[in-house]
Amino acid sequence: MVDTIEGRGEVDSGTGRGFEKSLYDLIKGLRNHKGSEDEYVQGSLRECKAEIKSQDIDKKATALLKLIYLEMFGYDMSWASFHVLEVMSSAKYLQKRVGYLGAVQSFRPDTEVLMLATNMLKKDIVSPNIPALSLPLATLPHIITPSLAMSLLPDILSRLSHSSAVVRKKTIVCLYRLALVYPDALKLAWPKIQDHLMDDQEDSSVTTAAINVVCELGWRRPHDFLPLAPRLFELLVDSGNNWMAIKIIKLFATLTPLEPRLTRKLLRPLTNIIQTTTAMSLLYECINGIIQGGILDIEDNFQERDEIAALCVGKLRGMIVMDSDPNLKYVALLALNRIVTTHPMLVSMQQDVIMDCLDDLDVSIRLQALDLAAGMVTSDTLQIVVNRLIDQLRLASSRDTSNIEAVSGERTSDGPEAHRDSSSSNVVDTLSMPNTYRSEVIHRIVDMCSQNNYSELVDFEWYVSILIQLVKLLPPADTDEYWSEPPVSDQDSLNGLKTTVGFRIGSELRNIAVRVKGVRPEATRAAESLLLIDNKTILFPATSASNGVLGHVAWVSGEYADYLKSPSRTLQSLIDSSTVSLPSETLQLFLQAIPKVLIRVIRSCEVQETWKGEISLLLARVIRFMESLAAHPDLDVQERAIEFLEVLRLGAESLQSEPEGVPFLLTSIIPNLFTGLDLNPVAASAQKRVVLPSDLRLDEAFNDNLPDLFQDIDSSSTGTEHYGTIQQFYYVSAPTPATQKMPHIQATPTELQLDASYQSSYGGETDLLNGLDRKRADRRERYRDDPFYIAPVEASSITSSPRRGLPPSAGGDTLDIDSIPIVDLKLDGVPSGVKAPGVQENYRAHAISRMEVATDENFGSEGLASHAPLAKVPGESGPKRSLLQVDSSGLGNFTLGAQDGQTGQDPTLAGDSGDAEMMKAMQNVEQVRLRMQRASERIQLEGAPAEGTLVRKKKKKKATMTEENHDTAKPKKRKGKKDSR
Amino acid sequence: MINAVLVFNNNGQPRLTKFYTQLDTQTQQSLIAQIYRLVAQRPASACNFLPLPPILSSQGASAASGPSDAPTQITYRTYATLSFIMISTSMESPLALIDLIQVFVEALDRMFENVCELDLIFGYETMHAVLSEMIVGGVVVETNIEKIVAGVRSQEGTTGKRRAVQAASASLGRGALPTLGAWR
Repeated sequence: MVDTIEGRGEVDSGTGRGFEKSLYDLIKGLRNHKGSEDEYVQGSLRECKAEIKSQDIDKKATALLKLIYLEMFGYDMSWASFHVLEVMSSAKYLQKRVGYLGAVQSFRPDTEVLMLATNMLKKDIVSPNIPALSLPLATLPHIITPSLAMSLLPDILSRLSHSSAVVRKKTIVCLYRLALVYPDALKLAWPKIQDHLMDDQEDSSVTTAAINVVCELGWRRPHDFLPLAPRLFELLVDSGNNWMAIKIIKLFATLTPLEPRLTRKLLRPLTNIIQTTTAMSLLYECINGIIQGGILDIEDNFQERDEIAALCVGKLRGMIVMDSDPNLKYVALLALNRIVTTHPMLVSMQQDVIMDCLDDLDVSIRLQALDLAAGMVTSDTLQIVVNRLIDQLRLASSRDTSNIEAVSGERTSDGPEAHRDSSSSNVVDTLSMPNTYRSEVIHRIVDMCSQNNYSELVDFEWYVSILIQLVKLLPPADTDEYWSEPPVSDQDSLNGLKTTVGFRIGSELRNIAVRVKGVRPEATRAAESLLLIDNKTILFPATSASNGVLGHVAWVSGEYADYLKSPSRTLQSLIDSSTVSLPSETLQLFLQAIPKVLIRVIRSCEVQETWKGEISLLLARVIRFMESLAAHPDLDVQERAIEFLEVLRLGAESLQSEPEGVPFLLTSIIPNLFTGLDLNPVAASAQKRVVLPSDLRLDEAFNDNLPDLFQDIDSSSTGTEHYGTIQQFYYVSAPTPATQKMPHIQATPTELQLDASYQSSYGGETDLLNGLDRKRADRRERYRDDPFYIAPVEASSITSSPRRGLPPSAGGDTLDIDSIPIVDLKLDGVPSGVKAPGVQENYRAHAISRMEVATDENFGSEGLASHAPLAKVPGESGPKRSLLQVDSSGLGNFTLGAQDGQTGQDPTLAGDSGDAEMMKAMQNVEQVRLRMQRASERIQLEGAPAEGTLVRKKKKKKATMTEENHDTAKPKKRKGKKDSR
Repeated sequence: MINAVLVFNNNGQPRLTKFYTQLDTQTQQSLIAQIYRLVAQRPASACNFLPLPPILSSQGASAASGPSDAPTQITYRTYATLSFIMISTSMESPLALIDLIQVFVEALDRMFENVCELDLIFGYETMHAVLSEMIVGGVVVETNIEKIVAGVRSQEGTTGKRRAVQAASASLGRGALPTLGAWR
């Protein structure tokens, strides 16, 4: 120990020794350079770089310590990894400790020097000095790789029998982390760890460490740990160590689902603990264990189960109501949240206290209560809960506008938030309700109402009004961007938009309009009211909040323009000059809606005397608006604007040339662009399930000679006739094609050929329809036997598609399920789309009746997947590893040698005495098996001496490698993954 | 298991960072910044559990769906100028983690005798040593304060370190800082 203190002194007293700074000087310097810290740090880093290359190990260690300190503030030190190794190998303990700390803090998966460290680590692991020996044990979990694990395993295993409990407990944990990257390690280590666990004489710290490790392993492979149950039980009842008891209960919660008899055995001690313990953490974990272990689900003894359920819920209620400790409130809600998925009834009995928690001062508690409220909501309670939440939001936003003083007294504790948001116009609003929380509330309201395709929702008109209110209560949008890093690509920014509450509400409104025909007029009017420019300042005080909503409402007002209350005002709002500055995603939808609404306005104008003047005025205004977007930087916007611009110019032209009556182009042709089959909701996954034709080759080039082809086109100045038309379309000034084509149309409106689709817009209505019908009939004929073709709905089968133009009226009763195209597909399982319309026959029986909600159209029975929240981007569903996550999946497929062939019998619960005997016998069997296994390994290595400590390492290595080969390719695959990561 | 242990002061300056998985420095820093933001906006009366910051919650992990490897709990506790944070999976008991932080702080208090932020700045290594006596590789190995302190003392002795720290803090006006004796 003497030399360690000396070492310390040398590391720390760098000041007196030369130019270089000690850590102390560095910190002091940092404090003296307030404002220019970065400069100072850069200077220090340069010094460190020089010092760490020095031959003097003291200097090196000091420099490293400074680097580690700076690394904490985010200054990279990966370049120093080799020097870390140098300091790790120092003979002085305190320097060694600095080195090991450097490895823990700075080594990353891509640090390559680690390979050089193997021998040094081996040496340190067998060091006689306990602190020195502890260093690698504590460090290895951070830096371990499969190959390192393989070569160090024998040395670490030997530490399990070390005389010091400190070493043993750290070794057990270290072996666990080794096993995560190298599952075979567990095969050798587990029997020994188990011995320590079983040993009554073992130090309690070691037992606790072993329990903690088993707890981590347990949920991956609960089967393997069932035989431990008697010992765990004993420890739970007798140990009196609350830390350990908590872990054991956690472990039991994963074991009980596998062994029903265990539940009965646990019931009494757990009840006992719940009734007697004074430690709230233990009490809580007992309740939690009962919930998670499925003890509430036991079937054979209802009375006992009801008792324990009442006891648990009663205790939880007590934690919420009586204790002023917010932590207990929080965890109680957490536990209730776990119960609610299986026993909603039990929880809804506690509705009163849960609702009170919705108004708690603490956001964490409120969020939990919100979860819970969403989980236990039924069609009866939905409106109550939602109204309460809306009131809360309204209160918060009215507080925004009112004076700060009035509320600051009540909630001063939230103070620190105020400065956070001072840049926004509403300085006050974060006082009691951070915007993130408000967004969450709105998300939850929408979740609650829309769950299971609106199965809990009765009154859709109410829902529409709620959505409108929510728009008014939208928090300023800055919170949504608050956390997210700047978007990397356009795709990212679009995804970001999709998760905003505004987007969510907008798409809800659209969903309702599309799915629920009965409420479509209301939904359209609601959309209209949101769109009107006069309302904008009232509805969207913060301009950015409106972005998500506007696109959807524009689409709804366009698509269902017939229901608009005042189409002309809507149109004016759509083409208002302020719209131009909207984001391009929204503008695209606006552009699509404008012609639809325009047509609706024209139709309503026709009856008036002054129609001609009005229509031409309207057209001129719309055209001017479109022109302003014709050079929009976003390509989608630009394209749509130009397309519609051309069409509308044609319309304006025809209006000029036609002396009386509204021209055919405006009454019929342009409207026909937008009418046709109604749009049905289609599941996001439907497209993926369409089987590609076998002769479809997507990877093959159309023409190997593509560059030449392009060259040909470029070289022939006029090109083909087809090319000429394109040229004309894009480059000849707009009025020209109109004047060319117009007389043509008037002269022979019905004689146009219909074989080219783009011409249909110039064709007469009848012809167009005939042609379309004929085509449809053709297609139907062709695909009649094709199971993947969704035939268009016949006009006669009204009810199969709720959004046909005809009112369902009484048709709801004569539902012809066979006419629903999905049924024709005859894929496995009952299509989910069929059920819902069938169930809801009683269409609009009374004012607030069950409305017909169209489900997503899909193939097969994967309807559920389609109800995933909008925020989820399809295609990214693959399991991604979370940050900080330790991947233990390698253990999932790993069978512990100890339990080979034991799964069938269960000796654990026969009786306490029998259990112990059985355990002993199993241990013996296992030991014999292990001895035999080792013997066989020894034989495999011919020529090697049976007992040579020197070659032992090599032998192990080879043995484990052969084992690995037997063990299929799994561990290897994992290894590769780990390395590449 | 415990995924990370963080200590930072009221201004968000880190005083200790320990990640039990390898994570690049930049991500570490943004995680610290996000958690600091969460902690900073919480009133003193609030409970000791944080919602997951965006960087961790992006995976859509939920605590309710049984055990997993993903970190789902963040427990914090503030003492005078310092906040102690533990990020853990659902296999750790939330209430026990609060106690564990308390044990950590008490052990530090024992090591530094009336510990304050400045002690931890200069006693940076000792703080790491205390932590590694308590948690190895994300698994709790010791909760007994006596044993923790004994473990650290066996590494660095009782005097050398202490003297150095005292010298350092005396020169910087140690008395000006509130001590942990006043923790809430």
